[in-house]
Parts: sequence; C-alpha cells; structure tokens
Amino acid sequence: MSVRSETPGVPEIPAPLAGQPPGETTPPAWPLRALRALAQGLGYAAGLLALMSLTFLALRINPITALMALWEGAFGNASSGHLYPLSETLVKTSPLLLTGLGIVVAWRAGLFSIGAEGQLLMGALSAAALARFASSLPGPLLTLLMILAAMAAGALWGAIAGWLRVRRNVQEVISTIMLNYIALALVGWMVRGPLQERARISPQSEPVPDAALFARIIPPAWSGGIPTRLHSGVLLAFLAAIVVYLYLYYTAAGFGLRVVGQNPEAARAARFPVPKLRMQAMAISGALCGLAGGVELLGIAIRLYDNFSPGWGYTAIPVALLGGLHPLGTVLSALFFGALTAGSGNLERFSGVPSVVINIIQAAAVLAVVGVRAWRARRAGSAED
Amino acid sequence: MRSAREAATTDGPPQAQPNNGVPLLEMVGIVKRYGPTLALNGVDLAVRAGEIHALLGENGAGKSTLMHVLSGLTHADAGEIRLWGHPVRIPSPRAARALGIAMVHQHFTLAPAFTVAENLALDSARGPGSGLPLGTFAAREAAAPALERAAALGWQLDPDARIADLSVGTQQRVEIVKALATQARLLIFDEPTAVLSGDEVEELFQVLRRLREEGHAVILIAHKLAEILAVADTVTVLRRGNRVASCPVAETDARQLATWMIGVSPDSPHPLSPSSGGPHPPAPFPTRSSLAREGRDPTWDDCGPHPRPLSRSVGEGRDLTPAPSPSQGEGRRQAGSPPSLIGRGAGGLGATPGKGAGGLGQTQAKEAEEPGAAAAFAARDILVRGDRGEVAIRGLSLEVARGEILGIGGVDGNGQTELAEALIGLRPIEAGTLSWEGGPFRAGVSPTTGYIPQDRRRVGLAVGMTVEDNLLFEAVRAPQFRRGPFLRRKALQRLASDLIRAFDVRTPSRTLPVSALSGGNQQKVVVARALHANPHWIVAVNPTRGLDIGATRFVHEQLRQARARGAAIVLISTDLDEIAALADRAAILSGGRLHPYQVSEVDQTQLGLLLGGLGAEQAAPPDKPSAAGETA
Repeated sequence: MSVRSETPGVPEIPAPLAGQPPGETTPPAWPLRALRALAQGLGYAAGLLALMSLTFLALRINPITALMALWEGAFGNASSGHLYPLSETLVKTSPLLLTGLGIVVAWRAGLFSIGAEGQLLMGALSAAALARFASSLPGPLLTLLMILAAMAAGALWGAIAGWLRVRRNVQEVISTIMLNYIALALVGWMVRGPLQERARISPQSEPVPDAALFARIIPPAWSGGIPTRLHSGVLLAFLAAIVVYLYLYYTAAGFGLRVVGQNPEAARAARFPVPKLRMQAMAISGALCGLAGGVELLGIAIRLYDNFSPGWGYTAIPVALLGGLHPLGTVLSALFFGALTAGSGNLERFSGVPSVVINIIQAAAVLAVVGVRAWRARRAGSAED
Repeated sequence: MRSAREAATTDGPPQAQPNNGVPLLEMVGIVKRYGPTLALNGVDLAVRAGEIHALLGENGAGKSTLMHVLSGLTHADAGEIRLWGHPVRIPSPRAARALGIAMVHQHFTLAPAFTVAENLALDSARGPGSGLPLGTFAAREAAAPALERAAALGWQLDPDARIADLSVGTQQRVEIVKALATQARLLIFDEPTAVLSGDEVEELFQVLRRLREEGHAVILIAHKLAEILAVADTVTVLRRGNRVASCPVAETDARQLATWMIGVSPDSPHPLSPSSGGPHPPAPFPTRSSLAREGRDPTWDDCGPHPRPLSRSVGEGRDLTPAPSPSQGEGRRQAGSPPSLIGRGAGGLGATPGKGAGGLGQTQAKEAEEPGAAAAFAARDILVRGDRGEVAIRGLSLEVARGEILGIGGVDGNGQTELAEALIGLRPIEAGTLSWEGGPFRAGVSPTTGYIPQDRRRVGLAVGMTVEDNLLFEAVRAPQFRRGPFLRRKALQRLASDLIRAFDVRTPSRTLPVSALSGGNQQKVVVARALHANPHWIVAVNPTRGLDIGATRFVHEQLRQARARGAAIVLISTDLDEIAALADRAAILSGGRLHPYQVSEVDQTQLGLLLGGLGAEQAAPPDKPSAAGETA
C-alpha cells in the first residue's frame, strides 16, 4: 500500500541487468573502486568550487580573490609557509567531525537526533565538573577521566532520548531538541553556581589544570615562531572516525544498526534486537558528541562558560549530510566546513567580505549535494521499473 | 469523457464517438531503452473499447514499462500512442488522466491514515487543488459522485472508514472507484488479483466484465493464465521487451500462452495439471483452441507461435505443471489420503484440534490427537494479538511433523501475519503453548527457524542495503562468522557469493543495492537467507506473490527440498493452487481459526464458505465425518 506512485507493480528486471549473465558476482577490484571514488570526490570538489564561485558572483565579489583569501586563511600559502592556518583549520574541524560522527551513527540507525549540541554541552559540563572536584589528580589521569566523563555524560544524554523512543515512542527529533535546551540551561546555571570560578566575577568555570590540558602538537619553531593551537585532541577526532567506520561496517552490532536504520520491520523479522540497537545507537552518538565537548574544553576553551559551543552540534547535521552519512565522508566534509570557518576570518580581513557569507556557502553546499544525491537516487529508482 | 475530449482537442480533431473501426488505444512501435538494454523493442498494442485486453509476460518482459509509458510515468524513446486514431502525447500522469487513462496500481496509492471519502475527494473535481478557496473542501461532498459510482457497482463503501482499517480487497475497490471517478475510458489493472483471494477474484472479474459492457477498455496485467482465459477477450504476450503475440483469447489456450510467455513448450502430458490434482480451480482450463480456427480474425496475423523460441529450461510450475519430482508425488499422495504415516488423529487432518469450536471440547480433541512421536512442532490453544491490540488468533492449535508442509489458505486479513509471527516466536502468544519435539520452544534457537515474510519490500529486505548485506542478516550473528565483535568479512563475502550462485540470484554484483533487483530475484534473496542454514522449522507467507513462473517454480522447489531434508514447514498462502501444489495437509485460516480441508477432495462450495468466513460446521459436507466430527 505504497503511496509512491513512481513504482507501481512488481519491479521488472532492471534494464541494466536484464542482459547480464547470472553468477556475475565479483565486485570491481579495489583499485578500480578507489579510482571511481576519487573521480567522484573530484567531481564533488569541482562542483563545490563552482558553487562557491557562483555565490561570490551573486554577491558581487570577485570569486578569484575571495577564493584565494579563503584558501590562504585555511591552508596558508607557499610564500609564508607557516602552519598556523592549517592548524586552525584542523582545530575548527575537530568538534564538527566528532559531532558529525555522532549524527552519522544516530541517523544511520534511523534516529533523526538533533541532540548533538546538548550532548556536547553535557560532555563539556561533566568534564569541567570533574576538573573542578578532582583537580588534585595527576595530569594524564585527570585528562583520561575527563574524557571518559565527557563521553559518559553525552552517552547518558543520548540514551535518555533513546529510552524515550524505545519505551515511550517519543520521537527523538522532539526529545533531543528539548534535551538541548535543558543542557544549555544547566550549563548556564552551573557556571553561575556550583562551577563558577573562585573569583566569582564572570559566569565561567575555573580553568582546567594545566597538567591535564592536551599538548600542543606543533612546535612554534615549525610555524615561523607563531604558536599554533593544534592539540592532541584533534587526533582523537580522526581516530574516532576510523572507530566509527569499523563499528558500522566491520562489526555485527554496526551491521544490525544499519539494518534497523534501513528498515526496522525487516530488522525485527530477522530477530535483530531493535530496541537495544536503537539505545546503543543513541548512546554511541551521545558519547561522540560528549567527547567533542570534552576535547574542546581540554584543547581550546580551558573553561566552561555560556555559549561554550557556537552551534557545533547543529552544524554537525549538515556536516554529516554532506559527508553522505558515512564516517569517512564526514571527515572530508568536516574538513571542508573547518577550512571555510578558518578561512573566513582571512576573507573578511583582506577582501572586506563579511564572514557570514561562509554560512551561505555551507548551506548552499549541503542543499546542492543532498539535492544531487536525491536526484541520482530518483533516477536510479525510476530506471528500475 | 469531457476531460478526454478537451485534451484531445489540443492534438487534433476531437473524436467524441467511438469509431467502430478504430481501436480506442493504439501503441505503435514503442521503444524504451534503459542504459544499454532495450526494455521495450518496438512494441505494438491495440485495445478496443468494450474489450478486456490481457497483457501477459514474465517479470522483466516489459509489461510495467509499457504501462508506465501509457500512464505518463515514463517516456518512450520512440513510437506513437494514438487514442481513437489520433496521436497524443502523454508527458505526465496528469496528462494521462486528462486523456481518460487511469491505472489501478497493485501497490495502492491510497493514504492509509485518511478516510475513504477523503481519499476519493483527493482526485475529485471539487477536492483540494481544484482552485476552490481554502476551507470550502468537504470530503463527503467531493467524494459523493465516486461513492455513487461505487454503489452502482454494488459496493457499499463506508465513507468514514479509515483506509488502514480496511481489508486489502476493500482497499482495491476504493482504488478502482477512484480510477473510475476520473471519467476514465481506459483502465489499466496492474496484477489486480495478486492481493485477492478466490472469491474476491471472481468479484473483481464481474466488475471487469461490467466495465467492458459499459464500453470501457480494460488492460489487465496478469501472470496467471487461468485468469486470462477466464476473463480476457484478447491477450498480448510480451517477452524480453518484444511483443510475441496478440491474439483473441478464444483462439488460444493456456498451453499456447505459456509457450509464448516463456519461449518453450512446457513438455508435459498434463498441461496445467494443478487444476486436475488440486481443488482449485475445479475444472480444467478450457482449451479454446478447439474453437474453429477458420473463424480467425485476419487482423490477428501474428496469432501463432513465436518464430524464434528462446531456449529456456522449463521444469514444473504452478501455472504449468507440477512435474513428477519425487517429493511432489509423495506430497500429492499424502494430500489425497489420510496422512497416517505421521500418526495424526482419526480424521487424518490433525491440523487443528479445536478449530471452530471456540475452545470448547478441546480436551477431547487434544487427547484424540496426541500425536506420539511424529509431530515436531505443536501449538496449543494459542491466542495472539495484532498490532492494534485486537485478538487476531484465538485458541488456535496445530501440529506439523518433520518432512511435512502444512498449507494454510485464506483471505488476507484473517490473522496470517500474526499467526506466522507467533509460530516462529517473533510475536508473543498471550495464551497457549508452543513446543518443539516435546520440549520447550525457544524462538529461533530450538528449533532453528527460517522465515519468509509476507511482504519482501516492507518486511523481508532492507532495500537500501546491498544484495550481500541482505543475504547476511542471519549469518552476521553466527559465531563462525565472528571474531570477537568483528565480522569475518572474507568468509561472509564468500558465503554471499555462494548463496547468489546456489539460489540463482541474478545480479551483476553482490554489492549492488537489492532494490535494483527484479521482484523475483529479491524474493530469491529472502528465500536464500531463510533456508540456506537448513533450518528445522520454516514458516513461509505468500512466498511467491507477484513472482513469475520461473521464480515461483524455484521457490516451490526450495520448499520441497527443505521438506525432503526433514524440515517442518508451514506455508501460509492466499493462493490455493500453491497450497494444492505443495501442501501435505491443508486448512483455511478464517476469523483467526483453522478449518482443515482435504486438498484432493474439497469441493468449491465448501472452500468458498470457508474462505468467506463461515465455520467448518457450515462448510463441511455431511460426507466428511472427519471435519464434522472434530468441530462437534
């Protein structure tokens, strides 16, 4: 009883297959697949470049100077050669990558979580609380515990929405948004109450003890004497992408999660533990977002305060969508968003282009890519019958 | 025809009156190409007003594509469509509707959450989208003409009933009325009987004949030869994108049609012998080729055998002949005689103690039927609720032995899905017990279970995932394919490739999305997944619905092999031919209860009553002491 009218009737043998001999089951060898993926990636890159140029043209900005300014802001240039712009790009990438991965896990399970922001805040909050009340612990141990606390708090925040969905059939779209507000308000209260700095001047927490902070990776000597902010937590983000990839595609749990996301009815009929997998997905998603909060606190922010997050948890959704809801695609997409953010300051400084133009580009890119994918899926679908 | 005439004026002079010489519809040389493959290779089709024109062909023959071209869902690369002799362009479904072409889809296009009236109003001239200001839309009024049309057909449709609450047959009526309400002159029915039971099929045929008398042209997409011979006037056979033949039905017979459709003559002394062995349909197919050949219409010049028969191996099949495979022969014999070898009760039907009796007198029945060692699976007095909390199965009992197929027929919506899920432990039973070989029934573990669910797209497959992934739903959780939390991908890939070969899934790659496969190949994926681990306990629900002959034959053979291996099997099917072809014992599920019948002896009236929801006591003829006795 489908309401889709494009595919009435039993699908006949799709035309591209009709002439194929049976038993032709070997997928193309990996170099071919890698080449195809590369070609596709280049296609998307070219498309994004064209889209950015068009956006600048529409705003009467010279696209060449603007793109150059963006590039130098994000990756540096050959003449100066210092690593500061690139490190900034990576620093901006890491919270987007971690929250984006969180979105990937939830959405792949068919749960449209909007809760990355709240989970990130809860992660940062619990890490900050631990730093406050266990500040006497030795540095590396404190770091480890803070990271675990951040992930646990994020996982708990996600699991609440998961539990509400599984047990009470509360739609996660609603519950996660509500939980975001609760987390935001909780942070606001904590930085004015129990967690406020001892001086009691600003609504912010005590700084995390120096010994616990992430190390800065790039020695200033390498970047022309300019200190960079690239910290070891950024590596965690990229590591997390690999872990999520392995989880989704190389474990039985990840397989079950994808089946649940594709078709919960089929998952149930095949005896996958659907409620358990949904809870798991929300908890893992929350843990990744909580980790983003902890990493940001330990690497960059040092303190917890109001507006700790400039909306990473919301930007995470376009990041994940642009990445095709695939962990490795999300790495590229987070890098793209990170580079745009890092480059936007340069753009504003040297071209007089307001940095909000970046938001326009980000939104247009997501719409374009999602639109292209939908169009291709539709074409593939209609060729089917 | 107001709208059709208006539309026609844009293309040429209107042809208001049906011109006797000119067919209502002509499609000439239609070509449709998908990538490198020709889906339609210059197909011609002519349909006259007042004619039921069957379109026959296997999955992939091009029937759906041709109808998509006609209904504006897709565009032909070449060819011409003429209505009343005037060329028309059909760029969109809306244009098709304006030209008086309507399609009754197999997968209904109704909004389940809306009422009958609201669904009918959506298409009506006074419905939303008609330019009326907001707030002036009244579903009941807008739907009134359509409801009158329904009443004229003798259908009482409750305008306030929600679609989701209606049976499939009733939903189809709404769909038909919706199509008629658009003033359509040409109606396309896409395998309308696939979702119907025997009685409903006959009613549908009445409606089709009625539409023919009213001067409509009806195109009937069909798989089943019996239906074509029963209702169609003319038949066009497609095979692999080519028109093989167009012929008045009176000049052909089932055997000829089968030959055209699959490209080789089914080499059998008893064409269509399911009808002779099984209970349904009762009479052999009318062999109309005996009708005078000299009376042939000269325009049907291609009414003859296909010039280039494609070679293709043909074994047995539902629509052809259940050839003498050993297990099949055995099954038939068992069906014909009391299956004493498995120690059932006196009636030999033992499918259920306590059916029809509403839980009374079941103690005796149970004692009388205490099976001894033979029954592997036993369900006793189970009560199962549906998704909305209604009682779907009430006090049902059944037993199945190893090496036996219990066929359960019945009209959709009598608790089939709930029963199937309960039998494999997927749906909790609220009362009663399940047991396996005398011990406790542990879902999915003891016995190992294979499940072929009713709806492959909705329940059987994750259509967005690859063929490989869909084959591995069960395997990924088997210890031999795991290393700690990780999957042994190489071994799984090997298994998937083996299954694709063993179950003849036609796919160019195992990493293709399963949605790209034809329906038959999708079902092979479902069957491969359910059966490859040789489960001891198998429940299959409508395993061949919507499949072509080849795929149907394949699925049946798989079930027979599973039986030969010693699996206990329950086959739940709305297709009584299928049950007759496979089942050792059979019963009708009606109103949540089972009513056994003898596959070989049952008479049509009795079966009809059973299907119609009347209990066994009304349905059992007096000379059937077994059935009558058990229900007493």
